[in-house]
Amino acid sequence: MTILEMADALRAKKVSSLELTNEALKKIDPRLNAFITVLEESARARASAMDAELSHGIDRGPMHGIPIAHKDLVYTKGVRTTGGSKIFKDFVPDHDADIAASLDRAGTVLIGKTNLHEFAYGITSTNPHFGAVRNPWDTDRIPGGSSGGSGAAVAAGVLPMATGTDTGGSIRIPASFCGVTGLKPTFGLISKRGVMPLGWTMDHMGPITKTVRDAAVAFHAMGGSGAVPSKNADIRGLRIGLPVNYYFDTLDLEVSESVRTAVQTAAALGARIVDIKVPNIDEINVVARVLLLAEATSVHEKHLGRRADMGADVLTLLDQGRLIRGSDYVDAQRLRRIYCREFSKLWNDADCIFTPTTPTPAPKIGQMTMKVGAVDEDVRLATTRLMRAINVLGIPALSIPCGFTKAGLPIGLQILGAPRAEDTILRVGAAIEDATAVVGRTPVR
Amino acid sequence: MFHMTDWKKTAAALDPPIPEADVEKLLPVMDALENSFRPLQKKLTAESDVWTGPEDLA
Repeated sequence: MTILEMADALRAKKVSSLELTNEALKKIDPRLNAFITVLEESARARASAMDAELSHGIDRGPMHGIPIAHKDLVYTKGVRTTGGSKIFKDFVPDHDADIAASLDRAGTVLIGKTNLHEFAYGITSTNPHFGAVRNPWDTDRIPGGSSGGSGAAVAAGVLPMATGTDTGGSIRIPASFCGVTGLKPTFGLISKRGVMPLGWTMDHMGPITKTVRDAAVAFHAMGGSGAVPSKNADIRGLRIGLPVNYYFDTLDLEVSESVRTAVQTAAALGARIVDIKVPNIDEINVVARVLLLAEATSVHEKHLGRRADMGADVLTLLDQGRLIRGSDYVDAQRLRRIYCREFSKLWNDADCIFTPTTPTPAPKIGQMTMKVGAVDEDVRLATTRLMRAINVLGIPALSIPCGFTKAGLPIGLQILGAPRAEDTILRVGAAIEDATAVVGRTPVR
Repeated sequence: MFHMTDWKKTAAALDPPIPEADVEKLLPVMDALENSFRPLQKKLTAESDVWTGPEDLA
């Protein structure tokens, strides 16, 4: 069930929050390794309290009584928050992150903390300390990362929503690889306070959900504003930008076909498809790497005395960050402003932009390189190259499933919007979702 | 052309230094990043200020 279906069922007294919570706890599949911590006892107590409130006429809104999970770098008072790291394996915060507090006020029931790439610094969620998260559509494959446990848990139907963070694609990559919806809002719109940082100027908080409307509901509960898209959302006349450069240049063929089908679907719904030329995304990706290397090392340099307690990939990135000169970091922030201005001109011609989320479906666990079209690419660089730049720009981005490969792996469509245009991208996403039969398919294991 | 950074020397000068065995694997990545980044810096002028947010268009 989706958040909205659960909300209706709770108010119609067809189900209780306790029953939803018990069902969620029962569905946790240890083979997926999506959770680092499961909170059976406190979740049941909280669900009963939410049921009692509803029965007394206290209604906190659509997320009242809904079971959720937090990515395990979101501080939760009294509940350990590991950041996927051995260094923080016993860290218990004495306060909630703002998003945890917001979702708590909205009446959610926290059933656990989800597994992730160590420190959220990577895209595989093959965690050396807590084990690899597995993709529910094919357990030999990665779920993406860094919010891999959140993506896997939602895709497997354990929960209708889990939180994610996105510094270079970490909400959208799991959404794409796991066939679920991920919203990275405009930079700064959702509070980062109490969330273990990775890149100070590129970290974004957002929801991972089954459907676009659920993403809107969760986004609002996390502190965003706007409306939940109506049924049969009207996108007639909306200008959808289709990049003629970069985004479709080197792609898996099935990904390309699925995204182009989504474009045709939007056109059939009355949207206007507008060819656009995007600024040099490779260049923005270089700026992104300079920024993130320096910022992530600023966060974690104090832990570099414990080299044996870190995964090899993360350690290498943190060492690289130590080699970035201060003046180069500042120059990257200056270049960022130039690219931001260049990119913002596109909004004169388009209301949103369609791109693939990832150039391929989910790679296998342990795979280091992969063929994309005719090109051999590093898995990490290939997987992030269509989305890193978006964190540099700070604009909102939504990933929704738009198809499946012949092998049954999900394919993601990325919808970009102007700053604070979450309403627009959610409306378009909901219209595409309604017009296709992609959402609703669940992995069979 | 620009002067390429001597990463080994830089890594050794840090306190604490990056262990020599770990430096080797950083070299190709850092060289590639520097080769991509230095040309971009030519876009910068004295007027180029830092980014302050996604809506910073002033």
